[in-house]
Amino acid sequence: MAYAYLFKYIIIGDTGVGKSCLLLQFTDKRFQPVHDLTIGVEFGARMITIDGKQIKLQIWDTAGQESFRSITRSYYRGAAGALLVYDITRRDTFNHLTTWLEDARQHSNSNMVIMLIGNKSDLESRREVKKEEGEAFAREHGLIFMETSAKTASNVEEAFINTAKEIYEKIQEGVFDINNEANGIKIGPQHAATNSSLAGGQGGQQAGGGCC
Amino acid sequence: LVEKTTKKIKHISWKKQKQLDIHQALNSDPVDIETLRKAAVSEGGLLTDDVRRKVWPKLLSVNVFDLENHKDFNQVLLDVRRSMRRFPRGIDERAVLQEQLIDIILDVLRRNPQLHYYQGYHDIVVTFLLVVGERVAIAMVEKLSNHHLRLDFMDPTMDSTKHILNYLMPLLEQVDSELHDFMLRAEVGTIFALSWLITWYGHVLSDFRHVLRLYDFFLASHPLMAVYFAAVIVLHREREVKSSECDMASVHHLLSQIPQDLPYEQLIARAQSLFTCHPPAELAHSAALITISTFQAFQMSTQQQRPDSVLRREVVNRHDARLSRGAPPSRAAHQLVKAAVWGLSATLGVAALAVAQTAMDWAPDFLLQLF
Repeated sequence: MAYAYLFKYIIIGDTGVGKSCLLLQFTDKRFQPVHDLTIGVEFGARMITIDGKQIKLQIWDTAGQESFRSITRSYYRGAAGALLVYDITRRDTFNHLTTWLEDARQHSNSNMVIMLIGNKSDLESRREVKKEEGEAFAREHGLIFMETSAKTASNVEEAFINTAKEIYEKIQEGVFDINNEANGIKIGPQHAATNSSLAGGQGGQQAGGGCC
Repeated sequence: LVEKTTKKIKHISWKKQKQLDIHQALNSDPVDIETLRKAAVSEGGLLTDDVRRKVWPKLLSVNVFDLENHKDFNQVLLDVRRSMRRFPRGIDERAVLQEQLIDIILDVLRRNPQLHYYQGYHDIVVTFLLVVGERVAIAMVEKLSNHHLRLDFMDPTMDSTKHILNYLMPLLEQVDSELHDFMLRAEVGTIFALSWLITWYGHVLSDFRHVLRLYDFFLASHPLMAVYFAAVIVLHREREVKSSECDMASVHHLLSQIPQDLPYEQLIARAQSLFTCHPPAELAHSAALITISTFQAFQMSTQQQRPDSVLRREVVNRHDARLSRGAPPSRAAHQLVKAAVWGLSATLGVAALAVAQTAMDWAPDFLLQLF
């Protein structure tokens, strides 16, 4: 499908905070109470409209465990937006934000828009991190902030779309060099026709076995 | 009818009330043990296994958190609890198996401080748990971790794993340079195969039969065989890849979704011949992998094994000798036997069910061995 711009996002944050569930809610409008964990990097996409323009969001969902950090890091590069997620019912996931932020700032381009997300806002009775604390952290570090619930879908659309709006504004202001794909922004194909396939008829040695 | 309904409602509310009382007793500080004892004695007892799991330890004054003292405990717990897909469907059976899985992983990690837990390790361990039961799984997983997964996956970081993935592209180049170049142009990298490799495909295949078939293959092969198999999958999907858009997202997305109807036997044969034609040494220009250097010694040791009948006789002889010397069996061993008996009886139903569902022809053998 034709789009005016493509924005590349990355979702980061501690393991089990609901990164994959946020993505699933945004792309498929559904919630899985028990979501299998993400190993390495997974991927989702959705089209949105901003200012009458079709924008394709290409979202990379990363594994939260520390040992995968060296792998997921390479996906920061070339991202225009990042959702940094913590779980409002687990204080430690909030305490780790500084590390995540340092990591993101160090490995991404300086204009990347970062949205701080306190997820699981439906679990009010188990809340360990006050909303004000999230707001304060965001203010201090120049991030946008929102509390979301991947379960009830509350604020999920807004989180993804507001990030896109911020990126879009930066483009209008000329902050982003849109001709440099390393910024995580791509201008849509000029022609409606999608790339013709490169499928060659000959196709390597297909038959099973015998490579010698 | 009205009477029947009210009776039913009364029945439900009675149970609900009891559960609520138990919940409150568990959460009061100190724990209201008298209420718990009364609940256990009175009609219906503790009602569900879920409640029993919480109350039984309290009745015996066991602090379950003493058992949870490991740096990776929370991570393991989190991962095992959310990988429901890998377990048989019955809820109580699954809960017992999940507890066993957590135990196995922590047991191996405690005894091998050089090994670091990674997300996906549990996908490997669960396969062994479902096939051989808890006791044998611990021994097997320990060996596998030290020889196959070793430090290359079980490092604090995944840097060495990236090394192993580096074998993938040269392999593709050897067989289909056009495909190789296409993937290079797309800048897709090799991370799409990460979960295949570090879980031996357990995380990505939905049919347990296929997982078992691959474990047969990998257990009998070189540790890098999982990479060769990844190469073979990509080669098998060569047309699809080449006709997708030549960019990272499209190719990554396409390849990371493994088709569930792969021709496994054919692919296994192909992976094996690929391995023979292009052995790791030929590809290992720079990657010096710890696993690989120790694997030869491991393989040598596998050639010195005795058949089960001999091994069993040896155990009996040792036991007799000890009895005649009058030495008491060590306490640890005794406990292990008890734990194993419990573990086995608890696993048996589910494991047998899981296997019976997936590998009918093989189940009777498995059951005979256990009884």
